[in-house]
Amino acid sequence: MKLQNFRRPRRHRQFHGTGSMDYYAAQSELRNWNGSYKVIAACMVLLLCLILNQLEISVTVIVSMGIVNIWGNQVSFRDYAGFLKIPMAFLLLGSGVIAFGISKYPLGDFRISLHWRYLCISDEGIRQALELFFKSMGAVSTMYFLALSTPAGELAGILRKAHVPKVVVELMHMIYRFIFILTKVQGNMKAAAVSRLGYVDFKTSCRSFGQTGGNLFLLSLRKANTYYDAMVSRGYEGELVFWEEEKPVKLWQVGILAMYAAGLVFLYFWVK
Amino acid sequence: MKNQQKKRFVLVIAVFAAFAIAPAANAMHIMEGYLPIRFCIAWGVICVPFLIMGFFSIRNKLQENPKNITILAMSGAFIFVISSLKIPSVTGSCSHMTGTGLGAILFGPGAVSILGVIVLIFQAILLAHGGLTSLGANTFSMAVAGPFLSYGIYKLCRKCRVNRRVSVFLAAAFGDLFTYCVTSIQLAVAYPSENGGILASAGKFLTVFAPTQLPLAVVEGLLTMIIMITLENYARSELKNVGYLEN
Repeated sequence: MKLQNFRRPRRHRQFHGTGSMDYYAAQSELRNWNGSYKVIAACMVLLLCLILNQLEISVTVIVSMGIVNIWGNQVSFRDYAGFLKIPMAFLLLGSGVIAFGISKYPLGDFRISLHWRYLCISDEGIRQALELFFKSMGAVSTMYFLALSTPAGELAGILRKAHVPKVVVELMHMIYRFIFILTKVQGNMKAAAVSRLGYVDFKTSCRSFGQTGGNLFLLSLRKANTYYDAMVSRGYEGELVFWEEEKPVKLWQVGILAMYAAGLVFLYFWVK
Repeated sequence: MKNQQKKRFVLVIAVFAAFAIAPAANAMHIMEGYLPIRFCIAWGVICVPFLIMGFFSIRNKLQENPKNITILAMSGAFIFVISSLKIPSVTGSCSHMTGTGLGAILFGPGAVSILGVIVLIFQAILLAHGGLTSLGANTFSMAVAGPFLSYGIYKLCRKCRVNRRVSVFLAAAFGDLFTYCVTSIQLAVAYPSENGGILASAGKFLTVFAPTQLPLAVVEGLLTMIIMITLENYARSELKNVGYLEN
């Protein structure tokens, strides 16, 4: 049997919630790249996208980051489309507000009379809203590049290198682990409540949700004590040390980033 | 109306009609890339003093008792989980709690500011709610302004001998409302409208988000109240450890 023919089993089901982005980050082809490099790359593209602020640049970033996320980070197309839908609601509302204006006088290129005020839309407003929408989607795609290639635990390690206070980094490490424990516990509690008709109507749902929340808090505090004892019995003396893999940055990776950034800047001046 | 203009007009209406069917998911986190760079930096700088205060509050808690580290971490994880859950809603849209009121009442606004930043980073990375460049603005509205107001209202109500449950409800509901107002103002300052400036723009943002946020504030208040009742019934000793039942 040839080993290289072996492929990682892929999940076909579309899945949501806390674990899904973390799952992709852990299985990404880019997970062996240097973490700090990925953070710097993402920040650089983010800044370029925001500062250059041009429709063509935003679309380029959306497309290129989409390709990186689907090929590099091995995200299925369907799931990626699902991820892109998350910010839609906010962006459509937010950019819509910028496109429309309300005024006492009939301004803008078209207007709808609301009898006491005019709802005006101008070409300029629509253009600004479209630009903002695409710029934001570009930035979101770039954030997905980071989120889908770097597990959050590794990010905490990078923050430690950036001299964020030790207590905060330790809290991050622990919160990251506890999030998954609590999500699981909450899921079990909710399943138990649903199977007993706890979410049958609005009033009951509110009560079940609140009681589940209260129980979750109680349980989390009890677990916290147990975890502290477990940590002390393993030699915790006020400092958590995590094992980190060394992932050296390769020259060609820096090259790709430099070329990409230069390409964006070049595009900016070319279109302008 | 020119033909091209007509087409554009229909397009805009179509986009909004499509939105009317789509559920509004966690609308009050400012998304990645939405704010211009100078506003991202400005809001970040405004948060710094609060974060320093929070840092010292957490350090004092740890010096008091090193055991508090797991309790704090669990509290952070709890805030994250509570704010990532879909809450029961009347309109059928999917919405989330902010959890700021609950956190502020339980742990005090200082500690919540640091926990809030960590939770916001994880929300961006794990759930794609909010973002990295908008972290400063989101921190100010959700981890500083909301919790401080909630805590203030809670303390004030207790001083005036208002029933504990009513105080919890008011603190959580107004904390949520305030978060929504602050976010709308942040958006308006970044994008003032052509005629009328920041105020008109703030009005527009407030109106657009009101249909989801106003019922949500009431629901958040109710849920926080139920959570607190459950805790008072079953977790008195734990609440004393956190410092809630001292007053």
